Amino acid sequence: MEKYVITLCDGTTCIQKKSREIRTALEAEIQKAGIADRVAIHLSGCLGMCAKGPIVIVNPGYSMYGNVTINDVPEIVQEHLIKGRPIARLTIDEDHLYNRFFRVFGDADFFGKQMRITLRNCGIIDPENIDDYLALRGYEALAKVLTDMTPQKVVETVKKSGLRGRGGAGFPTGVKWELTAKEPGPEKYVICNADEGDPGAFMDRSAIEGDPHTVIEGMIIGGFAIGSNKGIIYIRAEYPLAIKRLEKALADARKNGMLGDKILGSDFSFDIEIRLGAGAFVCGEETALIHSIEGARGMPRPRPPFPAQSGLFNKPTLINNVETWANIPVIILDGADWFSSIGTATSKGTKVFALAGKIKNTGLVEVPMGTTLREIVFNVGGGIPNGKKFKAVQTGGPSGGCLPEKYLETQIDYESLAAAGSIMGSGGMIVIDEDSCMVNMARFFLEFTQDESCGRCTPCREGTKRMLEILTRISEGQGQPGDIEKLERLGNMIKKSSLCGLGQSAPNPVLSTIKNFREEYEEHIHQHKCRAGVCTSLLTFEILDSCVGCGACKKVCPSEAISGKRKEKHAIDPQKCIHCGQCFMACKFGAIRKG
Amino acid sequence: MNMVTPLELIRKKRAQAVGRIISSGYLSTKRVYVGMATCEIAAGSKDVMEVFREAIAGGTLRDVYLSQKGCAGRCNLEPTVEVIEEGKIPVKYGRVTRERAREIIDRHLKKGEIIQEWVI
Ligand SMILES: Cc1cc2nc3c(=O)[nH]c(=O)nc-3n(C[C@H](O)[C@H](O)[C@H](O)COP(=O)(O)O)c2cc1C
Ligand code: FES
Repeated sequence: MEKYVITLCDGTTCIQKKSREIRTALEAEIQKAGIADRVAIHLSGCLGMCAKGPIVIVNPGYSMYGNVTINDVPEIVQEHLIKGRPIARLTIDEDHLYNRFFRVFGDADFFGKQMRITLRNCGIIDPENIDDYLALRGYEALAKVLTDMTPQKVVETVKKSGLRGRGGAGFPTGVKWELTAKEPGPEKYVICNADEGDPGAFMDRSAIEGDPHTVIEGMIIGGFAIGSNKGIIYIRAEYPLAIKRLEKALADARKNGMLGDKILGSDFSFDIEIRLGAGAFVCGEETALIHSIEGARGMPRPRPPFPAQSGLFNKPTLINNVETWANIPVIILDGADWFSSIGTATSKGTKVFALAGKIKNTGLVEVPMGTTLREIVFNVGGGIPNGKKFKAVQTGGPSGGCLPEKYLETQIDYESLAAAGSIMGSGGMIVIDEDSCMVNMARFFLEFTQDESCGRCTPCREGTKRMLEILTRISEGQGQPGDIEKLERLGNMIKKSSLCGLGQSAPNPVLSTIKNFREEYEEHIHQHKCRAGVCTSLLTFEILDSCVGCGACKKVCPSEAISGKRKEKHAIDPQKCIHCGQCFMACKFGAIRKG
Repeated sequence: MNMVTPLELIRKKRAQAVGRIISSGYLSTKRVYVGMATCEIAAGSKDVMEVFREAIAGGTLRDVYLSQKGCAGRCNLEPTVEVIEEGKIPVKYGRVTRERAREIIDRHLKKGEIIQEWVI
């Protein structure tokens, strides 16, 4: 006899609608029928289907019953559990893929405002077991495409969904597919961009590690739509676990007939291979990435021609980001209309962010477009720890900008973030509190882009170097009047004249911090003051009267700048002090003032 | 002519997959999931997994289905361990160490006590 698992929603709404009474009745009925040994009852948190509650799910088969009453219980037991006949009358057809998330995690604060579409299986399935993915309607979108849809229809659907690229630029995905599909074949390529070079970003890595098959399924569908037989996943070698899981997933998909010749018995053949990148930021740029796969140096080239016309080995190439691909199976199964109902007028669906910095809940979050920055930082992210004050939020990583408090009501959407002076980017989001120095922050990002600049074009290679020099001298107290204006002029020049997106966006962190925190730059230059106490060269240290003369500071001082007898007040020689802050940290009595 | 469409084929595959999951012990009274993404592993989840594996292999833990899963986004609370039990709300533990894993086995899985202070 078949074994069953019944999942009962035990969320607030369902409880109000008597789900607990249903449970008691179910247990009694199962007992009475003598099948208790082959039926298990599980409870779940809110399934996000409150309007149709109480919800009862019977597995295997995943029959989801809604609006269940006590009177339905005998029928469920007799018909479904004993005779094996699911009850059509009670079944809810809308098995939206994303609901799976609520089933496991319920409506805890952290997840309440989230909507997990691309991460729907992350943290829920075993990523190394294809059965787990298949059980949750995995590869059904591919099968649907191969059974019922023409390539044109697939392109239409993606276009209609309003999906835009999640790799940074936000180009409409359907349009890109259409352009590539139009090019003459037969040789075309499909590429998944998993280079993910932004410091602090780990969205793509987690998505692949948590659910590799979704990305693979999306790519096969893309291949079918544009008429390609060859896919390549370009991933950085620094992601060994993600690579291992991708390899396993690809092998499992091949074994099951989802990759290779005549996929699932259809006339369509497609296979995917993995190419490893060495981890250069610029190799995430599509033309540099293509050069890198070809075996050439990872340097961008001017566009047009776009990869859609002339990409890998000069053949038409469709390149999309990991997260973009992960949206595809859901759009095919749940429909373009449903997908485009989520989000704002110009940005549809959800976006994954890697929350980091001074925030309680660091980690990955996926929210619908249109969610405000405030909701992400204070609801989903839980706010700033240790009672500190919010100062700014940085989006878009080294290509993005810093937004202060007055922009917290900005909605997540490509256009509104750009209007506020930042970018959506690929999803890095760093929260900054009062203890962070904006000059230092800008310097950090510029140091990164300057280091990663490929050196091909002069504005980016030389310009970022000069900007970094100016920023460094400002943070060391050597800033000169006119430096801010010089940074602005240089920055705008680099933006206008660089070859690729790296240079065109590299000055953004500097320009946006100047725009929103100009007074901090001025303080550094004119008063040699860093209000956050981060730029150590600008700090002065002074020993206060509460010094007990324990000698701890004297012991740690690397430049022997501290003198004083035991049990007497010590003093710091400002000439010798190198502003390292060791004494401040060593003092147990709070007798050293930093300022 | 082959009459099976890709869609029919995938439905069959799904049924088989569900069958395999169930026969591998999914219907055990207790299911334990250990987070195993790079972030979780960096936080020490491999050790935690090992404790559970050993307990099952050594026979101290029976009727438990052990599996891994990806990152759910609670990076500051990792490693995470989730216990799903028949008839009960899932329990999710944060910052699990070897020692905590052993206690979860002793107190929760064997004696049914939910260790509140580690619950997320
Ligand atoms: C300097 C630079 C770095 C980039 N890095 C990435 C990256 O790591 N991952 C990514 O998907 N796209 C990256 N892009 C964007 C790609 O060039 C390209 O727009 C994207 O892969 C297209 O996919 P989408 O339409 O799905 O976003 C980068 C662009 C630039 C200019
Ligand atoms: S409480 Fe049951 S679906 Fe929301």
